[in-house]
Amino acid sequence: MSQKVLDALKAVHGGAIELLETQHGDAIAWIKRDQLVAVATWLKTSPEMAFDAPVFATCIDRLDWKPIDVPPGVPVYPNSAAWTDAGGKPRFEVVWQLRSSLHHHRLRLKAACPEHDPRVPSLASLWPAFNWQERETFDMYGIQFENHPDLRRIYLYEEFVGYPLRKDYPKEKRQPLVRRDDLPMNPIKAPGEGHH
Amino acid sequence: MAAPTTPPTAPSPGDANPRSLRQLVLGRKDVQDLSDAEQDLPPDLMTVNMGPSHPAMHGTVRIILTVDGERIVASDVQPGYLHRCFEKESEHATYTQVFPYTDRLNYVSPMINNCGWAMVAEKLLGLTGHLPKRAEYIRVIVSEISRITDHLTCVGASAMELGAFTAFLYFLKAREWLYELLEKVSGARLTHSYVRIGGVGKDLPDGFHDDLTLCLHQTEKIMVEVENMLNNNKIFRDRMAGIGAITKQAAIESGCVGPIARAAGVDYDVRKDYPYSIYPELEFDVPVGTTGDCYDRYLVRIEELKQSIRMLRQCLKQIPDGPVMIADPRVALPPKQDTYNTIESMIRHFKHIMDGVKVPAGEAYAFVEGGNGELGFYVVADGTGRPYKAYVRSPSFVHLSTASQLIHGHLIADVVPIFGMINMIGGECDK
Amino acid sequence: MTDAAKPAPVPSTPAPPPPAPADSVNLTIDGIAVIAKKGTNVLEAARTIGIDISAFCYHPGLPIVAQCRQCLVAIEKNPKLQPSCQQVVAEGMVVHTNDAQSSLARKQQLEFTLVNHPIDCPICDKAGECTLQRLYFDHDNANSRIDTPKVHKHKTVDLGPTIMLDQERCILCSRCIRTCDEVSGQHQLDFAHRGDHEVLTTAPGEQLDNPYSLNTVDVCPVGALTSKDFRFTMRAWELEATPSVCNGCATGCNIEIHHKQDRVWRLVPRHNPEVNKYWMCDEGRLTYHGLRDHRLAAALVDGLPAGWDRAIRAAAELLGPSLASAPRSIGVVLSAEHTNEDNFALAKLAKAWGVTNVYVAGKPEVPSRADGRLRVADVNANTAGVKLVAAALGLPATPIVELSADVRTLVVLGAELPGIDQAQLAELAIVAISAHERGPVAQAKVALPAAAWAEVAGTVTNAAGRVQRMHAAVTSPGQALPAWEAIVRLAQATGGKLSFAHTREVFHDMTQAVPAWKALSWTREARPLALRFAGSRG
Repeated sequence: MSQKVLDALKAVHGGAIELLETQHGDAIAWIKRDQLVAVATWLKTSPEMAFDAPVFATCIDRLDWKPIDVPPGVPVYPNSAAWTDAGGKPRFEVVWQLRSSLHHHRLRLKAACPEHDPRVPSLASLWPAFNWQERETFDMYGIQFENHPDLRRIYLYEEFVGYPLRKDYPKEKRQPLVRRDDLPMNPIKAPGEGHH
Repeated sequence: MAAPTTPPTAPSPGDANPRSLRQLVLGRKDVQDLSDAEQDLPPDLMTVNMGPSHPAMHGTVRIILTVDGERIVASDVQPGYLHRCFEKESEHATYTQVFPYTDRLNYVSPMINNCGWAMVAEKLLGLTGHLPKRAEYIRVIVSEISRITDHLTCVGASAMELGAFTAFLYFLKAREWLYELLEKVSGARLTHSYVRIGGVGKDLPDGFHDDLTLCLHQTEKIMVEVENMLNNNKIFRDRMAGIGAITKQAAIESGCVGPIARAAGVDYDVRKDYPYSIYPELEFDVPVGTTGDCYDRYLVRIEELKQSIRMLRQCLKQIPDGPVMIADPRVALPPKQDTYNTIESMIRHFKHIMDGVKVPAGEAYAFVEGGNGELGFYVVADGTGRPYKAYVRSPSFVHLSTASQLIHGHLIADVVPIFGMINMIGGECDK
Repeated sequence: MTDAAKPAPVPSTPAPPPPAPADSVNLTIDGIAVIAKKGTNVLEAARTIGIDISAFCYHPGLPIVAQCRQCLVAIEKNPKLQPSCQQVVAEGMVVHTNDAQSSLARKQQLEFTLVNHPIDCPICDKAGECTLQRLYFDHDNANSRIDTPKVHKHKTVDLGPTIMLDQERCILCSRCIRTCDEVSGQHQLDFAHRGDHEVLTTAPGEQLDNPYSLNTVDVCPVGALTSKDFRFTMRAWELEATPSVCNGCATGCNIEIHHKQDRVWRLVPRHNPEVNKYWMCDEGRLTYHGLRDHRLAAALVDGLPAGWDRAIRAAAELLGPSLASAPRSIGVVLSAEHTNEDNFALAKLAKAWGVTNVYVAGKPEVPSRADGRLRVADVNANTAGVKLVAAALGLPATPIVELSADVRTLVVLGAELPGIDQAQLAELAIVAISAHERGPVAQAKVALPAAAWAEVAGTVTNAAGRVQRMHAAVTSPGQALPAWEAIVRLAQATGGKLSFAHTREVFHDMTQAVPAWKALSWTREARPLALRFAGSRG
């Protein structure tokens, strides 16, 4: 079922694709971020795809990605020559999951973006559910969604500093960032953050 | 109010005229003194804050309403007051340690969250479909009981907010029996952490069959009473019918699932469309509404209650004997007798607890039919015993995003039934 | 390319791989082609492609004995299984690590090792970083088959001043014996008795008291050897590891600081083939205790706590007149115990002030330490660095004992002033920038609290001239700041133009000034790695 979707995607938008893969039965398509809206529009409007139902939108931060025991030859985080983030791989992958209520197939779209330029286009205009979920991704990871109607924090308060789900945000860090004498540890720095 | 144009006259001693005294104290005109023009209400829109500490805001949600009189013209829904960093904590916890966190997502149907999390880990491990039959049946039984408790709470609380206190108390009485039953099964009324990767934590207690049969029988009797009270109740229907309607197309595009989507006519139930566990072996119907308003949601939930009871009766008849945990040492804890007496089991137990179940690197999205619809877990695993990323696709969050559109144009008083019938569970919405 | 009309011949064997470079060979492990340097053993070659053939007694820094038989693999054209730690790679070798025979051998060997192993995991220090636990879980995971009582041995054997032995946990891999022999040169451990009564014990007439004894705790794959200093204090999986450099002497062994919630619990060596290989000395391991010893946490003026601002003002008042009229009466003391950056900032300030009396101080040498292995006589971490920094700025680096009689005011970095007696100290007005409250700090007019070595990011230069980067692991107590920051504040109050906002800025300035360091670059700050995420250290 998922292979049909990937084949059709390759046939129509072959040039926009970075990589196609299937993991545990789920179809995953890595799309170049500047062509994402075109591909997404086709996925929604074309009758044989008919992805009318949004499922979720989130982001993966690959900063600490060091998988162990991966059988050799299995690309778990695919390498693509097109991604040149100063020689490395892009840090963030923004993920959208789609479902078709007509054909019952599912698809996961991914767009990679580097750390110094965390922008991807927003799909909120196509599927309204992504409005809040992209806001949540911005809140937690700092991804700027272009053309999002209302990109502001959703879970955290406006004065929050930083993006907590990024891997380099220490779990023990406390906010608001005011010095307090009653705490055993310095809330400006998490323990072990050291001095620069 | 127009500002006073004449300064108040000081009363002379002995002047007992009350109106002058009032003018002096209040500094403004009495209603009888206002001119016709001054008596019109101001046309400005008013901003009113509803929540986060509001009895009708299930969980903690803040809505900033802009109202024209009583009618809502704009709203800004602000969730996040119950955000407890589920995802960040999960990245630092082993897969088994995440089960208590999942309990606290949709805390009125916690077993379903547990099952969803176990399913995503099993999908990554390649164990889907290899669990012992009894374990699958137990999972479905406790999931359906949780679904019943979810719907009882939702309908009961919504009815109470409309003034039908009796319905609330009746449904909560029924819910109590089920919570007591689940307490016998798992040890806790609400925060069960009962399911494990590869099965369930322990077997059902003795007498469970009889207890559950009695509970279901009693719950059905209560439901008949409540339906008699509410279904054709004029006040209830007036406050619910035609309120907060959403079209089928809008429901799909807004990501609505579960009773809300089904009330709008979307025939989508994960148990039927993407069957998992032993649902293919059960006979049940999926109620689908027509208008998508609050009354249809109420009817869908009542009907789902009946279907869950039907499924539970079938499970009780069909459940086989056998182990409740898969016999795979990568996943199952050894029996305590062995743990304390042999070094091999001690080491295995130790590694399971400290390092966690090692889940092969990759990613998967597994979803179940929660009380509110498609509840999914998206996990990126890196081969260690802790998830690299654990994302919850919470249906309440998505439904809350439609709230703004649903309450638009309605009265403030309509926010209550709309919110009640969305069944936004704070824990699931805010994660 | 064959002719399109005729079908191409089907090859009977796959084409041979291209020839490897002259110093390497081609071999196949589990179907994967590997190129390995000549002389590598099969175990290491497998590790390069991520295959873990279990092993206990093998250690890359120790002689190979093939004693534990855990690493047996099947090699084609060989009738018996071979220990992969001892088997050297050869051209065309085909190795199978996961076939039925090797897997069974591995499981059986683990079963044998576990037959008499005590059920100590809940009380054993090694739990969480234990090789036996890891290998059992990853390679065996079978249930126990014995129902006879286990053999019992002594469980608390005092081997020496630093180590306790639990003979029951010992799996007789002999890593500790070889470590003692290799690293300290003294044969202090040996096996005694035979069969299932064989135990580890001290060699006849010996105690385990060599200065490198705690390395045996690192190499022990189980919890048989435990450090008396660390045992029962902290669980391994709760710790976080930050890389740094030991400040115990001028060797600069690379270490990991293991800390939790802003407190250091132990130091372990980090592999560096050019400095310390896999080892470090016992004294270096225990230097972490000094981080909590008599720390100066608040700025002091005349011995009483004062805020930073007041202390800086007091120092400026003290130095101001002399700076204006008689800079020859001011002495600046650089510290061989502080980082290159701290010393560079102070030297630059001295230059800006026009002070020419620049001295170097540090702990006195301990000649008995020099043993030609890791320990050297100079117990200061950065003597070489201080000298280079001073020379690069054209300042003398006179040893502090030769303190000139003209000097009336001293600005001291660190807490050491060797060779200066109390009488001399009493005559001087001292501004001390120190982490510890000892030595001249007691007599200082103004004492500014500095961060200690485990709390700063910076570089130190070892005796061989190697510049090594330290990372901050814990936060400094109270109001202490990195010494260079204290110096910058002092500069700004006394008119010396210094304005650094970050250690890396000091580093950049410094590497421009010191010609030998021009090519060095500042690396990103290392985030502490939680040991429970790192998999097992064992």
